Amino acid sequence: MALIEIQHLDKIYNSSAVAVHALNDVTLNVEKKEFTAIVGPSGSGKTTMLNILGGLDKPSSGFIKIEGTDIFKLKSSELIDYRLNHIGFVFQAYNLIPVFTARENVEFIMLLQGVSKKEREKQAMALLDSVGLADRSNSRPNQLSGGQQQRVAVARSLASHPDFVLADEPTANLDSESAGDLLDLMETLNESHNMTFIFSTHDDRVIKRARRIITLQDGAVKSDVMN
Amino acid sequence: MLLALAWKNIWRNKKRSLIVVIAITFGLWGGLLSGAIMMGMGESMIKSAISRDLAHIQIHKMHYNRDKLITNYIPNSKEILSQLNQSGEVKAVSPRTLIYGMAASPESSFGIRIVGIDPQKAKQVTDIHEKIVKGGYFESDRKNQCVIGQKLAKRLNLKIRSKVILSFEGLEEDIKYLACRVTGIYDTESSQFDETNLYVRQSDLLRILESEAIYHEIAILLNSTRLIDPFRDQLKADYNSLQIQSWNELAPDLEFLSVTMQNFTYLFVAIILFALLFGITNTMLMSVVDRIRELGVLIAIGMKKFKVFIMILLETIFLSLTGGILGIIIGGLSIVYFNFAGINLTAFAASLEGFGASAILYPFLPTVMYIIMTIMIIVAANLAAILPAWKAMHLQPSEAIRTY
Ligand SMILES: Nc1ncnc2c1ncn2[C@@H]1O[C@H](COP(=O)(O)OP(=O)(O)O)[C@@H](O)[C@H]1O
Ligand SMILES: [Mg+2]
Repeated sequence: MALIEIQHLDKIYNSSAVAVHALNDVTLNVEKKEFTAIVGPSGSGKTTMLNILGGLDKPSSGFIKIEGTDIFKLKSSELIDYRLNHIGFVFQAYNLIPVFTARENVEFIMLLQGVSKKEREKQAMALLDSVGLADRSNSRPNQLSGGQQQRVAVARSLASHPDFVLADEPTANLDSESAGDLLDLMETLNESHNMTFIFSTHDDRVIKRARRIITLQDGAVKSDVMN
Repeated sequence: MLLALAWKNIWRNKKRSLIVVIAITFGLWGGLLSGAIMMGMGESMIKSAISRDLAHIQIHKMHYNRDKLITNYIPNSKEILSQLNQSGEVKAVSPRTLIYGMAASPESSFGIRIVGIDPQKAKQVTDIHEKIVKGGYFESDRKNQCVIGQKLAKRLNLKIRSKVILSFEGLEEDIKYLACRVTGIYDTESSQFDETNLYVRQSDLLRILESEAIYHEIAILLNSTRLIDPFRDQLKADYNSLQIQSWNELAPDLEFLSVTMQNFTYLFVAIILFALLFGITNTMLMSVVDRIRELGVLIAIGMKKFKVFIMILLETIFLSLTGGILGIIIGGLSIVYFNFAGINLTAFAASLEGFGASAILYPFLPTVMYIIMTIMIIVAANLAAILPAWKAMHLQPSEAIRTY
């Protein structure tokens, strides 16, 4: 069974004067341990796609099954719990709680899961170590560079032991060196932790690093190739 | 961790939070202090009334209040007085002979109450002797002295050594006259009292009346205010044909006043909190709007809506309580200070005397009021939090995070 099964996904926004067909009959599967990029020009539907995949937005039609669970059949509070326990998120910006240290940010998601304090501290340190920031565990986000902040965000996304990690343009605000480092980190975690990553980007250097490239155009899948 | 997060969050925009905290602090400070002054004023009125005339308990013949006739004296006063003098709970007793009549000077005359006292006993129950502004308080043994209030002295144009003619009905419905000389002028907190109460020696009155000792009123001061109600009830049981009343029954308006002052204080603080409520709500709404993306991320990664609600609620409560506790501490400290030093309102003494309160007030608030105020602040904070917390909780994460 595929990790994620997407069938005839449509998303139409009616909020503006003209209806926008942001996703148009998307059907595809994602397997475990994939390292997949969703690419396409701005406005092609990448964010919409990832938001729906992450249960942050509802499709107009079609369904998504994650390990057999149709996530849009869940009640809204169950869906929040599902996100907490099964999906890791890395956003383009504003990922971290500014008043918390790096370690507290990673711990927070485990707190929401009800993990004991001792266990939280131990795991948070181990995760920060694996993203190369053990020595910055007591730094606040504003004391870290953009690249470092995104690495903390990656550490946090893994802290809840999710089935997969969704990252919407994680490198968009980074210089190319930091972007490269972040991709290195994600690749390593993909290999060592068998973690599935689905990330969107429109940066050619990032696209090259993906093993599977799904290209969207006007909300439809234009191509789906292995790299 | 959620508590720590909420606490840290309110100090992110220090200026904004400080403004709210300061507003609450000063609002409460002002509310508490003015409430305490009102309470102090009520207390001062009660204390002055008790030490001026009321004492703790008074005994009269049944229905004396309806017909204040000279013949309505207490029938068995000797027996009562000897019982009272033996009681360990009684501090002092002053039997009074009360006669309603006229005081006349060469210029004018005025209806008054003649209070016949034994000065030595009266001194132990009331403090008129401390309020003498001219002359003295029955200092010599000369016959037919009288001590009058400042207001009456003005009305009848009397000075020390002036002669006054008192006229009143005697025991046999005959008219009696007593010519006395003013030897003392007093001035209490109540100008109304000063105008109508004239003190003479009991012995002088009885001589004119050609009567043995008769008393219309027995004023009793107890060793402690806590003894008042039980002692009154005991007396009532012992002398069911007499009217036995405690000070608050004698002057129900005074007790009502002290309750009113308390309610005013609550109302005052409630109005201040109500006004502050809008400021708090507004600040928290701004704070939520500022953090839409961040709150969106929290909901996206799996923070339950009710936890988001609780977080904003906690932030509001922390913010309000910080100001609230500061306000209560500053308010409490200034109340304690002024309670010790007194607030000198001599400038308004004339109008205060119209109320029967003294010119130096000692503000105070009962401890229970501080507790109730704290609860009121928490309630206000919860009310103020509802709108912002509701807004935060219903953020749509996909919309909140969108960076177009
Ligand atoms: N909330 C919305 N209301 C209306 N239109 C939207 C909304 N969100 C996205 N869109 C539209 O949907 C299309 C896809 O947007 P998006 O998924 O953000 O693309 P991308 O992430 O690839 O830039 C765009 O045309 C965008 O304007
Ligand atoms: Mg996008």
